[in-house]
Amino acid sequence: MNSLVPILVVLVALITGVSTPRAAEENTPAMAPIPPECVAPGAEVASIAPLPAIAKAMSERKKVVALAIGGSALGVGRRGGDYYTLVESFLEQTFKGLDVVIVQRGVSGELARDAAERIKLETARSQPDVVFWQVGTADALAGVDPQEFGETLRDTIRWLREHDVDTVLIGLHYSRALARDPHYQAVRGKVVEVAKTENVLRISRYEVMETLAKIQQSGRLPESDTELTATSYNCMAEYLARSLATGIFGRAKITPPARSPDKR
Amino acid sequence: MSRAANAVDFWRGFALIEIFVNHIPGNFYEHFTHKALSQSDSAELFVFLAGWSLTHVVGPPDDPRPTPRLIGRLFLRAGTLYAAHMVIVMLAIAMLAVSARWFDNPLILEWFNAAAVFYDPVDTHVGLVLLTHQLGYFDILPLYVVLLMASPGIALIHRRWPNALLPLSFALWFGALVTETTFRTWPSEGEWFFNPLCWQFDFVLGFLLARATGPGGRVRRHLTALRWVAIPLVVVAAVLRVKGIAVDPTRVPEPHLLFVDAKSFLSPLRLVQFLLLVTALSGLYPHIARWAGPLTGALSLLGRNSLLVFCIGSILSLAGQIGRFAVRGGLLFDTVFVLAGVAVLFTAARAADWWERTR
Repeated sequence: MNSLVPILVVLVALITGVSTPRAAEENTPAMAPIPPECVAPGAEVASIAPLPAIAKAMSERKKVVALAIGGSALGVGRRGGDYYTLVESFLEQTFKGLDVVIVQRGVSGELARDAAERIKLETARSQPDVVFWQVGTADALAGVDPQEFGETLRDTIRWLREHDVDTVLIGLHYSRALARDPHYQAVRGKVVEVAKTENVLRISRYEVMETLAKIQQSGRLPESDTELTATSYNCMAEYLARSLATGIFGRAKITPPARSPDKR
Repeated sequence: MSRAANAVDFWRGFALIEIFVNHIPGNFYEHFTHKALSQSDSAELFVFLAGWSLTHVVGPPDDPRPTPRLIGRLFLRAGTLYAAHMVIVMLAIAMLAVSARWFDNPLILEWFNAAAVFYDPVDTHVGLVLLTHQLGYFDILPLYVVLLMASPGIALIHRRWPNALLPLSFALWFGALVTETTFRTWPSEGEWFFNPLCWQFDFVLGFLLARATGPGGRVRRHLTALRWVAIPLVVVAAVLRVKGIAVDPTRVPEPHLLFVDAKSFLSPLRLVQFLLLVTALSGLYPHIARWAGPLTGALSLLGRNSLLVFCIGSILSLAGQIGRFAVRGGLLFDTVFVLAGVAVLFTAARAADWWERTR
């Protein structure tokens, strides 16, 4: 169960980009400052969760294999390489000597149930230590039942855990048009709920984008929803990299995940 | 004069209706397409029948089409398909853009793997033209274009060394499965949804089994016995499908793709189940024609205008997805939309038939 204190510590670390939990400080390299267009004061950018598979891979192999799935958009090139390249280089710079390989198998607009099937196959093919799963937006737009969506999410996370693979959920996009849409919010809530009950790292894309949208008037941020969405990919890559780094630094303070009750 | 209803056009029409329905994910009626009871789906059938049709283009052994005309016709057909693919992709992109504006929602720009088109347009438009960037559900025509580009080679190998084609095609399929070799996408990193190196085997099997000589002739001679083997296996596969029983991909020995259900690579599990299904149902058409003549006529009408119907169906499927978003789906919408969509497909096919007859 997450406690509030480590969450707040991590949030401060993520927003400032310079601090990590004290227990890990001695071994923690400084992270580069977060880009100004991604600073979202007050927004919860990520939950905290253990990343045992990544930690094991780092200590045993000095190599982490990540499978990116559920949306190719994070991989779309913009300003000097695609966004997963940004995650890759951030982690490699932060952890000297670490080799990070990101296998991109994303298809934007893919429903969770289809992605879930592919995750199993791609896990066999790529043998990842962690799966970055952008999930929820397509299901919400397609009108998938939130309950069914949540079960798919939960089952897949448990399946991955059974196979010693960490999961990072990258949640729904923010859109002004859907801010009051009950179905969209129900799916969003389901991602939050499942991430919490299954104790997996979640990047709170919606909350960050909502905050960025509110401070758009400052003039340094894009003005349309479309530009905001584009900016959000860059920011999500930043937050994803920082969350992973923080999760790895802070692993000594985090309790291991609960094993799923239906372990086969 | 349009050709009469026949089994190939009938099953192609059947596949086209299923593709239209299945390409509106989440809609109620996708539970009633044959993939609900089968590891393979309408894609295997569509590509197999494309190979089957190649036999008619190549011509019979005693009166083969002259080689230059054969090559010219196949390349021309590939060009037509490529042009059709480009048109529907551009229409789809425009539909997504208009919908995003209409609903004031940029997230629609990301459907169908279209995000890169809008957020990285310079490289992605090059990728669209090179077929290295494909929209979701708009990915079977690129495969078909590649297969048609390869089909002169397939036909000429078969003419020169008729016994070599099957082992060559098998070796390419098997090699791609073992080495996981596929076509890459660009600029977004990834793989083609339909790996041509694997799906060519389905195409070649259709081509060879359509012929009265070689493997096709041997299968025909033993079709009754094969059917008795196939039917119970198809039933067992259906039960496994309904119960959701599938192998854990991580628990099978390497190479994994030989033992799992992998649509992109046309894994053996899918291909064998599909061939069993074809064997089991191959004698069904005459009975359907006898008892439900209008049905065979209607589906054959779709089948003989397959490119037009496929293109319109793809656009309608996208419209269906957008419509489901607008009204949040529901049985009423699904029913009205699927019925209206099928009516549009029949109207378009009938209009094409009329045009063909009168010009």
